[in-house]
Amino acid sequence: MSPPTIKTLAAMVSIATLFTFAAVPAHAQGSTAAQTASLTVTFMGLKSTQGALMIALFDTEAAYSGGQPVQAVKLAANAASLSVPFIALKPGRYAIKAFHDLNEDGKLNTNPFGGPSEPYAFSNGAKANMRPPAWSEAAFTVNLGPSVQTLVIE
Amino acid sequence: MEPTTINRRSFLTAGVGLAALALSPEALQAAAANQMAGDWRLGFADIEADIVRAPMRLLHGRPPPGLAGALYRNGSGKIRRPGRSATHWFDGDGLIRAFRIHDGAATLEARFVDTPKRRRDTAADAVITPGFGTSSAPGASIGSPDSANAANISVLPMGEELWALWEAGSPTVMDPQTLATREVKTLRPDLAGMPFLAHPRREPDGRVWNLGVNGDKAVVWRLSSKGALESADVIELPRASYVHDFTATARHLIIVLQPWVQQAMGQSYMDGLSWQPQLGTQVLVLDKADLSKRRLYDLPSFFCFHMGDAWEDGGGEIRFDACIAPDPSFPLQGARNVLLGEETHGSEASRLAMITLKPNGAADLVRTEMVAEFPRSDRRFAGQARRFTVHATGLTPGRPLFDAVAVHDWKRNIAQRFSFGPSQMIEEAVFTARPGSTEEFDGWLLAPTLNLAAGATELHVFDARAVEAGPICAWRGAVALPVGLHGVFVAA
Repeated sequence: MSPPTIKTLAAMVSIATLFTFAAVPAHAQGSTAAQTASLTVTFMGLKSTQGALMIALFDTEAAYSGGQPVQAVKLAANAASLSVPFIALKPGRYAIKAFHDLNEDGKLNTNPFGGPSEPYAFSNGAKANMRPPAWSEAAFTVNLGPSVQTLVIE
Repeated sequence: MEPTTINRRSFLTAGVGLAALALSPEALQAAAANQMAGDWRLGFADIEADIVRAPMRLLHGRPPPGLAGALYRNGSGKIRRPGRSATHWFDGDGLIRAFRIHDGAATLEARFVDTPKRRRDTAADAVITPGFGTSSAPGASIGSPDSANAANISVLPMGEELWALWEAGSPTVMDPQTLATREVKTLRPDLAGMPFLAHPRREPDGRVWNLGVNGDKAVVWRLSSKGALESADVIELPRASYVHDFTATARHLIIVLQPWVQQAMGQSYMDGLSWQPQLGTQVLVLDKADLSKRRLYDLPSFFCFHMGDAWEDGGGEIRFDACIAPDPSFPLQGARNVLLGEETHGSEASRLAMITLKPNGAADLVRTEMVAEFPRSDRRFAGQARRFTVHATGLTPGRPLFDAVAVHDWKRNIAQRFSFGPSQMIEEAVFTARPGSTEEFDGWLLAPTLNLAAGATELHVFDARAVEAGPICAWRGAVALPVGLHGVFVAA
């Protein structure tokens, strides 16, 4: 009658460590406007208007797996759905990690057993399944011009 | 009809078929009796949709004038889906049943807990979410233990709420009137997603103690009678046993650490457990007022799901009863077989036992021969010296679960018992006090059954001190609900 407690929680710890990026806006990429793409990311399902939404955009598997994001944004979580634009991107593969920082301490908090205690989401509809989704599951393609991506925060 | 009244000849002339000829006369008799009684697989059938409240028909007797309130029960309600089914009885979707009694009339309704697991499995048209004994399938999404929360073991009335309990995730808040699902309960933001066992212990004044277990760590929950969090402390356990239940005296928490221990990560939770009888069973006793004060006792190896309320006698000895089995073959095999329509052969029924923990560090285990599961007592005496335990008993050959209810008197060491016979499968019976009564077990037992012959769920009321006399009244519902696990009566 009790499921994968240990397994799940161990996995959750590793999910939490994936969220150790710094949410510092970093809108600097050396591309010219003519070669760039833009991405509008919409977040849905926020269950509280407290705290902030922390969003990190990654452009390589290595960065996604523990490095620094190419861009990171902190948004006031003042509505059930929110949108944020990313501009001046190089066309290519990207993935997003986001979490709802309810207490605004800058971290995805975990409960005493290591499970996440704040809502989070990955791009491309990727879901954690006893482990965080791999780059291949969370990554999506951004082409020249505008693109959109929707994440449901759970 | 009794099995012995069916002879081989009448069985054969009943046209059961040649394949049965290979069976022994005893097996033939049992099979014939069961066929006469009705198909026990009805006890593990699926419910496809919520069951709206409908009157139950009074079968016999006169409902006691003082008996009013609601018996809320929980248990798997849907196990099979077209693409893939759960493979373990404990992994169906939580179905909350409510038997409501007012003015001598009874109604029955049932509603599924609207969990993320049920939503995902429904969308996939397959049980993809892993559980206690069911493995994960492609498409499963387990972002926290509550992603797999089936909310299917028991219920806990809390103030104006009814909590549906699982054991490895959060309580789910239900509306006790409509049985609508409200939300997953977070007792404190930093404790979101922490496990909360399905067997909280309630003190006579209403305060609730509970555990949540993760390997060799446990959180000790203490809640007010209305459900406000008073404390949550993480403690270390001597071993990573499977813990389904625990017990308590007025001053102690008592955790039975059976030798079924978490060793690896399996496809399901149970797959990661290893039965190591050579380790014996340990019993950890914690002081409620100071959880760092602990004693550890050693007992011979046994498997156990459920314990009765514990008490401390004048000499400092702690006593509690438990329903114990030689090994976990029921959860390992029996609770899988029943879904396949097979008997629980190979899994030995649990039996009633009394455990005594002595101040000198010694521990005693006295086993009785009485088949017993689902032990309950008079909650007004929880944690205090008490005399009575009600439990399910009675095995019908060739069929799982129980056909009788018994009350054990620990003072005189005798039992009263009433058997419903092979046509009924009995569920957990709960005690409720007669209004104004003060003596232990002065009141009624509410015993739901599934009447296989009638194809309907029934509710039987016993005088708790005269179980042998049979039910004083009984109602029959319009539907057959699968056999459930645990319930609580909330007096009006």
